[in-house]
Amino acid sequence: MKGFMGGKAGISLLCLLGPFFALWGLFWLVPLGMGIDLSLQSPDFRPVHRDEVLPQDTSSSSSLTFLDWRKPQVEVEVEAPRYVGLDNFEKAVADSKFHKALGNTLIYVFGSILVILPLAFALAVNLRSLTRIPRGVLVFLLMIPGLALPGVLSTLFYLFFHGRTGALNQYLVIPLGFDPVNWMMDPAFIMPSLIIQAVWRWTGLVTLFFLCGLEAIPRWQFEVARIEGVGLWMRVRSILFPGVRHLALFAAVFLVVDGFAAFSGAYNLLGGSGGILDTGLLLVTYVYQVAFPGGCGRFKFNGAAAMSLLVAPVTAFLLFLLLQARKSFFSR
Amino acid sequence: MKRIPSFLFLGVAALICVYPFAWMFLSSFKTNKEIYQPTLFFPSDYEWDSYAGLWSGEYLPFFDYFLHSLLVSGGQALLATLVTAAAGFAFSKIRFRGSAWLFGVAILVILVPKQALAVPLFEWMAWLGWQGDLWSLALPGVASGLGVIFFTQVFRKVPDELIDLAQVEGLSPVRTFVTLLPLVAPALMTFCFLHFILSWQEHLLPLLMLDDENLTLPIALAKLRDSSHRIPESVGMAAATLSLVPVVLLFGLGFRKMKTALVELSLS
Repeated sequence: MKGFMGGKAGISLLCLLGPFFALWGLFWLVPLGMGIDLSLQSPDFRPVHRDEVLPQDTSSSSSLTFLDWRKPQVEVEVEAPRYVGLDNFEKAVADSKFHKALGNTLIYVFGSILVILPLAFALAVNLRSLTRIPRGVLVFLLMIPGLALPGVLSTLFYLFFHGRTGALNQYLVIPLGFDPVNWMMDPAFIMPSLIIQAVWRWTGLVTLFFLCGLEAIPRWQFEVARIEGVGLWMRVRSILFPGVRHLALFAAVFLVVDGFAAFSGAYNLLGGSGGILDTGLLLVTYVYQVAFPGGCGRFKFNGAAAMSLLVAPVTAFLLFLLLQARKSFFSR
Repeated sequence: MKRIPSFLFLGVAALICVYPFAWMFLSSFKTNKEIYQPTLFFPSDYEWDSYAGLWSGEYLPFFDYFLHSLLVSGGQALLATLVTAAAGFAFSKIRFRGSAWLFGVAILVILVPKQALAVPLFEWMAWLGWQGDLWSLALPGVASGLGVIFFTQVFRKVPDELIDLAQVEGLSPVRTFVTLLPLVAPALMTFCFLHFILSWQEHLLPLLMLDDENLTLPIALAKLRDSSHRIPESVGMAAATLSLVPVVLLFGLGFRKMKTALVELSLS
């Protein structure tokens, strides 16, 4: 028999699952419902102040109007929210800037996954052959960028890597004989530099995952491979790779979710804009731009809410693809 | 001899990961002019002015923000660990009707992350009157979908015999869960730590939710580096160095346990 039976465990079940679902409801389901509600309302709905409806005599002394300034808020007449069906979604789908942001985010997510997973695998395989202490120290060092705040990473990127005299140009681009790249200003290089940052940030963590997966592989498998004289490729394919495939899936899910929520790095580097020609415009940045245009206090929450919700099917589809890939590709 | 390319590869990777941070630390002593030469490593002299400036709150109450970040991230990580571990235990060790369905509902959270819900979350907090409060930051994100998946896996590895034993002893499921906690301590620490990092790095929600006197570190750092360049770059570098200290310390302390937990999890 497996575990506790349900019927008797009613109260216990409530104690164990209750806190999670209470918080789940309060801080996920309610905002989600509000988001859906917002996204269905008219985009040009805004609070209308009384003095706009009934222009008042403004000839009285200015200090008095200043004092009165707060009063009308009590009597604010709010135009009733108008429900407009799927208008906001249609607008978002037709919005070319939204397409750009979505496309950029997809490139960002796939680009970083395609670099991070193989790189981390190679690092982990190399680390496995070391003795314990250097191995631990090296993994620890590789993890450091993942521990730092994304804002710090982008500051470092800005000051240290980027620029004509920056490390990327001085140590990599110029020695290889290319012209120095203007990483944050050249539209062709904004997205690669965002991806480089993601790689720099997460490769260490994924390497740690993979290393743990490799350490869990029983020793006898390597013994057998050695006795059989199996080649390197075969060893990778039939021993090392199966050791990390579950972790690779977990890492991929994590990276997809994190990539879609990416905001801080791009916000710091590009100051909340999308960069030149919006080549660095990520989804969350765009939603933020739509919701709080110029910080002037006139919020356009409806369109922003619709856009945020449109992200869910995309993530769902990607995760679904990953799970399918696991079934066909990962299972031997 | 065969090892040399391997060492070289790892060495270069480690250098790329560490060198910029060493540069960052040393830059907290540099003048702006020195900082704008990225290939310069050592400062000409070591003055602790920037740290003193942060300590005295010359630019902004940095250590208040630091404390807020610690409170929010620590609180969120501990709560999330406890709450999702309990849920994971229930999903893996208690059989009840609708278990699979509830599990599916719980992990829906992954599809719409809190960053995507920032706008309605902002309105909801304003309606509750919590906007600007640190709680408004700590509580969303406690219900973590990844946490439920993680702990369901962790508790699946706990042998059912232990559960049977607990039942024979007449322990309720809640008591059993509490008794089992030390057994899964490495996993608890791992998740707590990862969640702490994610919450420590959160930028969008505090940007929306918090009032100016209640900010957290990521925003403080962004403010220290605003476009007007009134504040010396070294102050930003000092703040960045300090922001790294708690996470590196935590990571250093928990590293062993984390590895144990991850190795155990990948044994299948």
